[in-house]
Parts: sequence; C-alpha cells; structure tokens
Amino acid sequence: MIGQIGKILIISAFVISLAALFTYYKAAKNQLNLKLEKNAHRLFALMGLMVVAVSGLLIYLIFTHQFQYYYVYDHTSLNLQKRYLMAAFYSGQTGSFLLWIMWTALIGWALIKWTDDEFRAPVMLFVTLIEVFLLSMLLGFSIGPVHIGASPFRTLSEAMPNAPFLKAHPDFVPADGNGLNDLLKSPWILIHPPILFFGFAMMTVPFSYAMAALWKRKYTEWIKPVLPWTIGANLCLITAIFLGGYWAYVTLSFGGYWAWDPVENASFVPWLVGVAALHAMLVQRGKDKPKKTSILFSLFTFIAVAYESFLTRSGVLGDSSVHSFVDLGLYDQLVFFLLAVTLVALGMFFYRWKDLPKSDGTSRLLSRDFVVFTGAMVIFLSGLVIILGTSSPVIGKLFVSHPTPPPKSFYNNWTMPLAIAIAILSVIGQYVWWKKYDAESLSEALLGPLVISSILAIATIILGNIHDIAYMIYVFAGYFGVVGNAFIIIRLYKKQPKLIGGAITHIGFAVMLIGILASSAYQTNLLDPETRAYNNAVKHGKVVNKDGTTVMKQVNFFQLDKGQPKKIDKNLTATFVNMKMDNAARPGQQKYTIKFQYKNGKTFLMHPVVYPMLTTSTANKINWSVSPQVKAGLFHDIYLYVGGSSYVQNINDELKNNPKVENVTERVKNAGQNESSTQDNNGKKSDIVSFKFHRGQSKTIDGYTFTFTKFKKASDSELPDSSVIGVHALINIKEDSTGATKSISPLFAVVQKKGKKLSYSPPVALNDWNFAVQFSNVKPMSDEIQLSVSGLKNTAQNDQDAWVVVVAERKPFVSLVWAGIFILMIGFSISILRRWADDKRRTERMKAAKSS
Amino acid sequence: MKPKVIVGVIFIAGFTSLLFYNFGNSISTYMDFAQASTQSNSSNVHVVGDWDNSKPSGFSYKTKTFTFYMKDLKGNEKKVVYPKPEPNNFDQAKRLVVVGQLKDNTFYADEILMKCPSKYNADGSNLKSRGPKKN
Repeated sequence: MIGQIGKILIISAFVISLAALFTYYKAAKNQLNLKLEKNAHRLFALMGLMVVAVSGLLIYLIFTHQFQYYYVYDHTSLNLQKRYLMAAFYSGQTGSFLLWIMWTALIGWALIKWTDDEFRAPVMLFVTLIEVFLLSMLLGFSIGPVHIGASPFRTLSEAMPNAPFLKAHPDFVPADGNGLNDLLKSPWILIHPPILFFGFAMMTVPFSYAMAALWKRKYTEWIKPVLPWTIGANLCLITAIFLGGYWAYVTLSFGGYWAWDPVENASFVPWLVGVAALHAMLVQRGKDKPKKTSILFSLFTFIAVAYESFLTRSGVLGDSSVHSFVDLGLYDQLVFFLLAVTLVALGMFFYRWKDLPKSDGTSRLLSRDFVVFTGAMVIFLSGLVIILGTSSPVIGKLFVSHPTPPPKSFYNNWTMPLAIAIAILSVIGQYVWWKKYDAESLSEALLGPLVISSILAIATIILGNIHDIAYMIYVFAGYFGVVGNAFIIIRLYKKQPKLIGGAITHIGFAVMLIGILASSAYQTNLLDPETRAYNNAVKHGKVVNKDGTTVMKQVNFFQLDKGQPKKIDKNLTATFVNMKMDNAARPGQQKYTIKFQYKNGKTFLMHPVVYPMLTTSTANKINWSVSPQVKAGLFHDIYLYVGGSSYVQNINDELKNNPKVENVTERVKNAGQNESSTQDNNGKKSDIVSFKFHRGQSKTIDGYTFTFTKFKKASDSELPDSSVIGVHALINIKEDSTGATKSISPLFAVVQKKGKKLSYSPPVALNDWNFAVQFSNVKPMSDEIQLSVSGLKNTAQNDQDAWVVVVAERKPFVSLVWAGIFILMIGFSISILRRWADDKRRTERMKAAKSS
Repeated sequence: MKPKVIVGVIFIAGFTSLLFYNFGNSISTYMDFAQASTQSNSSNVHVVGDWDNSKPSGFSYKTKTFTFYMKDLKGNEKKVVYPKPEPNNFDQAKRLVVVGQLKDNTFYADEILMKCPSKYNADGSNLKSRGPKKN
C-alpha cells in the first residue's frame, strides 16, 4: 500500500519535474516572463516536496521493518540500531539517488531565493533538467523490453521475478532482512555520504550557470554570482573526501586514507575539475576577458560527476574496485544520462563557439591571467589523468582485450609532477595576482621564499634521509607552496585581511602534499628483530621452502605471545596484554589490548578489534573482519590491526571439527567459553579460578597480574583458636590496562578441630575490581602457594599459548595531511564569505541603479 | 600569442601521448595460468579464477602465508601463496583476481582482489539470483 503511494509519488514528481522544465523554458525563452516563472517555481517546489515525501515514506518503511520491500529487506534488519536504520535510507543504490535528488531540490530552492532575475529562470531550467534525469532513475517501470529506473519501493517478487519460491508465494514477507554490511556499521556512515551527495548536488550549480550563460549569451555576468556556489561545492566535496579518507583510515582495514580506488576517484575528479573551473572563473571574470575555459570547465564539473556516477553505479568497475555498486539494470540509462549531459553541454558550447568572447592575445607570460590559467589547466590535467586510470575497463580496451586497472604507481607517478607544478604555480600565481611583475622583479620578490624553503627542504632531506631525487623536488615544492603563500598572507593581512582566502587554501594544499609524501612513501612496518632478520634473508634469496623453492615474499606482521614483551622498533616494545569480549558492540566482537612501551618508560595502549561479519557468516564458517586502531601523534601515527589470534583460530577449529546447525549469533557469543560456567549480568564468569605459583613468580588472569612476593608469619591474635600454623602471602596485583596496583596479604591457616585438620582462608575482597582472592593452599616444601580467585574469567589455562598476530605500521606526519585539509577548508570558507559579500554588493548596486 | 599557442599545443599533445603511452604500458590484461606461465619474469600478472574450496586452504603461522588453490577460467588449477593473513571477505568472493607472479608452478600473489557483490553496498550478499538480469 505505502509502496504503491511511493511509486505514484515518484512518477508524479517526475511528471511535475517535466512540467517545471517546460514552464521554465517558456518563462526564460524570450523576454523574462515573471508570472510564468513563478508557476515554474511552484512546480519545482511541489516536486521537491514530493521527493521529501517519498524519502519520508522510505524511511518509514525502513523503521517499521517492512521486509516485503526489497530495499528494506536488502539493507536493514530487525536488530539494526536506529542510526544505521537512518543510514540505510541512502546506503543502497536507489536510496542514494533519492538523497541526491532531495539535495538537488534543496539547492534549487536556495537558487530560487538567491539568484537575481536575469539568471534565475535559465539556471533553474538546467537544474530541473538534471532533476528530471535523476528522477528517471527511480521510476521503475517498463515499456516493452525497456526498463526505466529501479524503484526503491519494489517488492521482493518485483525485484526477483525469477526466484522460484517468490513466484509461488508472491506475498511472502521474510521475518528478517539482510542487514547492513558490517563494514558500514560505523558512525562515519551517518555523515560522509550525505555531505558527498550534497557536494554532487552543488556541482549542478556551476554547470547550470554556465549553460544559462551560453544560452542567454551573458558570458560575463554569470561568473560573479556563481563564484560563491563553486567554492561552496568544492568545500563540500573536499570535506566529504576528507571524511571518506578518514573513515577508511581509522575503521576500515584498507591500509590507509587513500588507495586510488575508483570509488574514491569518483569523488576526487569532480573536485579537481571544480577547482580548475574556479581558477578559470577567477581569471576570466572581468569584462574583456576570454570566457571559453571557465565555461568549458564549469560544464565539465557536472559531466565529471555524471561520468563517475556511471563508472561506479553501472557495474563496469566490478572487477577493479573493491567497493563499487552492482548493476541494477540501470546500465543503459546511466549511459544515456552521461551522453545526454555531455552532448547537451558540449553541443551548446560549440553552438556558441564563434560568439564567445575571444582572447585579445596580449597576456604576458608573467601576467596573472596566464599563470593562474596555467594552474587551472594543470589541475584539470590531473583530473584527466585520474579519469583515464579509473576508466581502464573502458578505455584500456584500446590496448588489450581484458584490461586490468593500472597499478597505483601509475597514479602516483603522474600526479606527483603535476602536484609539484601546482604548488609552484600557486605561489607565482598569488604574487602576480596582487602586483605586476616582470621576470627580474619577480625573482627578486621570490628570493625570500626561495631561500627559506630551500633551507627547510635541505634540512628535511638530510633529517628524513631522502634519496629519491623526485621526492627532493617534491619536498621543496611543498615548502615553497607554504612559505611563498605565507609571505603573501603577511603582506595582505596588513591591508585587506578579507582577501587571504586563496593564499590560505594554497598553504593547506602544500601542507597536505608534504604530509602525503611523508605518510605514504616513508611508512614503515614495525617488526621484531627475528622477522627483520627473516625479511633480510628473504631479500637475499636465502630462505627456502620445504619443497626447495625460494621464498620471495617478505613478512609484514609479527606475533605476540601473551604477556611476553617484544621489541618491535629501536625504542618501542609491544606486549599482548589481554583480549576481552565486547558482545555489546557486536556479538562476538573481541577487543584486544596491546601495550606499547617506549624506551623512556612512556606507555600507551591500543585496542584493535576483531569481529565476525554476521551478515555473511554461517554457523560453521565465520567471516572475520577487523577494525584497525590508530594512535595519532604529531610526528607519526601508529596504525595497527590484528591479523589473527589464538582465540579466532580456536573458534575456527572448533567450528570445523564440530559442525553444528544453530544460530550463528549465539554460536559466536558462546564460542570459546567454558559451557559449564554461568554468566552473571555483566557477562563475567562467576566461577573460581585457582592457580599455583612459586615465590617471586607472576601470573596473569583476565587482565590482572598477580605477583607472589613473600611469606609473612601470622600473629597469634589474628588466627582462630587451635590453629596449627598460619601464614600470610604478600601478593601484589596489577591491573594491566591501567597499571594500578594493590597489595594484599591473604591468610592461610590450618586449624585442628576434633582431630581433623581443616584449612582456614578468609577471602580478601577487592571491591574496586569486583573480585576476591583466597589463599587456598600452600606447599611448604617448595614454597608454592595456590590462590583461588572468584569473579575473574579463567584465562590462565590458555595463557601459555595465547597469541595474536599484529600488523603495525608507522606512518609519519599523517597529521600534516589532516592539518592541510583543515587549512584548505578554512581558506575556502573565507573565500566563500568574500565572494558572497562581493556578489551582494553587486546586486545592491544593480538595484540602486534600477530604482534611480 | 601565436608562439605561445604553439608551445601550448605541443605541450598538451606531448603530455597526452606520453600519458596514453604510459597508460597502455601500465595496464595489463587478465589472463589464465597458461598465459601467466609464459610471463614468469613479470610480477604484475592478473589471473582471474575461482577458489577451489575442496582443497585445503588457510593461513599458516609458521610460513606466515595464506595458501589456497585457485582454478582459472579454463579449469587449470594452481596453488596460490599470499604473504598476508586471509583477506576479509575471501570466502564470499564470487570471483578472485590474483595479482603477482607465477613461478615454479606456484602463484605468488601480492594482491588478491575479491569480486564480491559489493563491500559498500550490502546488496545481494546472500541472494545469489538478484535483480532483473541485464540481457
């Protein structure tokens, strides 16, 4: 029922968007017709409201767990937390389209409010055109053999018409859904995708403005109003890219913040093109300037969005990306969308080619126009390089029959010189932007930055032990970008502090460049001396397998046995402290505690996590997944995850040897635990753990280390009557996770009663730690005593063979990457405010001129 | 102006042809084990295939490698050795791509790509027959 309403609403929204499109066209075609335009706005607003209603319905279906709908079934389950139910709204392909459409509608409303008369209707025409295309992706009906769109409100049997069971029982409602992929269960999913799609939606604006400028032949007037929008779209996208990278870095085990994965590139390329368009707009915003590049790049911003959407959503990247969408049968339609956007845009552009203002051909080599234009071009070229690499499944067919994606080195090798060029141009561009220079005066002015950045670069090369000549140049370029732009800021700040946005953005970019090199090219694996020796032997071809072949691969992880410290670096020791179950977070989740100690005595703890992926596990075979842990520092991060542990291996063995058909969740929760023991409310075992040790020895139980230091004779007054013997044992207890210690001296006495010898050992309760210790036996001949502890889990019996395999990397100066991005965002924000104020002043002037 | 345009055009043309040349060289083609064995000195060979789960597989902490058997699309089977713990999602993968070098009848993989329904999209992780099939 609700699904029917939803489908009808989508179709109505589509029809209304077509009507709005037509009305905007009529309104803007000749003389501006304000009355018609108002009607068009109403239609657009109505369409937007319908899209909001559609989203509301989908969210309602998700929250009420209506699993007869394919989308709800496929992306949610009963036990999903509320926030992830919310995220499920956009975690699927059709839902993310819906979010995108909704944001575009929101942008449209803002445009209606803030655009002045001359551009409002034509700009809205093209925004509406994009809405029409996007809405068509959700229609979900067929005309003959042609499927148009995939509706989020498909029922199970509509989504899977060929499933035999559903054919027989079309009204079947599953009891529970597939759930959200475990890898996505992270708070980052609540924030990264919405901002990303908002950025995509904002990229509609420069595109629409450029189209409107072409159509209405207002080649100069469009730039001022579109500038704040363009900067805003870039700010939004870089924020989303940052969030995605940070998410990948801290919670997914992809190994870093960037991997040149096609889906990552899909957000990066539109940003690069957007930034190139921004720079082209800045140099071409004046009256007598050529306009071709700014218009063309603005058109390309959205073409890039469309192209990357096609790559990631059509399934062509299936082989080359770890996380692209599967084809929903939208392939043809996505191709059509891409072709339509490209052809309409470029067709319009070439139609107006002759009419577009020409360059007067006077720009000097060191003019601001030329330098900034070259910068824009280089940024655009880096976008092209990345697009080419990402398109390998399509374009690679020119070279080989089944093209593979290019290796990461392709992207690195090509973007590195371009990044160097951009960093250097960012300084020269800023210098010539604010003052006229010729070659001589410019080199004079740049002397300061050159000297300072050379000194910094040489110091870095020596301290950082950099040997690669390309890296040396890159480091210099990075410093030059920072120092040169800093000079500009100092100069500008005295006169016009509002104008420093650009220079700040450039500093952020350069800082980021240095951080990227340091954290990726100079990351090292932390390894123990034996593994290092092994790797060294492998390097020299000295390690031979049993079958006589030479081992070729080095090892990048190390094993820690519980409680045994291992040196993993010159001045860093790692100890596997304990593993605790964290069933509350995810059933079966294990939290490992690994203690690191520096030579100078400083320690820190890290808690990597391993959990079973329940959505894909079966009762007899568990898919384990890991969450890495990052210890962020000013100079370097330590990045670490658990690659395996005795606990995981025991469960795997247990499942293999003892296959059972039972609920996998229960199985995971209970696995590895002693079945005879009971659990109290905290999930803690309430059985008694007994262990023996000698004087001077230590034992670790459940995260507490007990050390037996010495005996102390008991005084008569504390012994019960008729005691034969009484003795205290001095025990130091340390909580390994906090380092807190306590000393206790439990009593053991032997009492003679009616000819029988009975032991007397009152338990000593440790209330802070919720357990009690009893001195339960002693062997006087060997100085061995037995303690019984109640309230702790018995981990003692496995202690000897508990181990964990750890992959740990030291990544220098990741902090600079984040710092650079933050500075970039601040710079963008300052520029938005400035350009917005500019545009407001302009409109006010225009109004004043009209009324007078 | 004119010479600048010419320099610009030459630069762009040079850049583009170099880019394409390098791009053509850096991508390779997916192949089977028979083809891979002819390229034993290349360590960037991509072989497509399926995991043979009837044969032993697993991570050995002694040799510190993850080993399994993979059948290529022609049905040839080879042992694959991977110097890291078993990757996430390995056994749900519908299809595998191993990247590395074939030497002495063993494939030494630097990278294993798993073609899963999707990592970012829970779509169809359990449902094998899904969606209206294209064509």
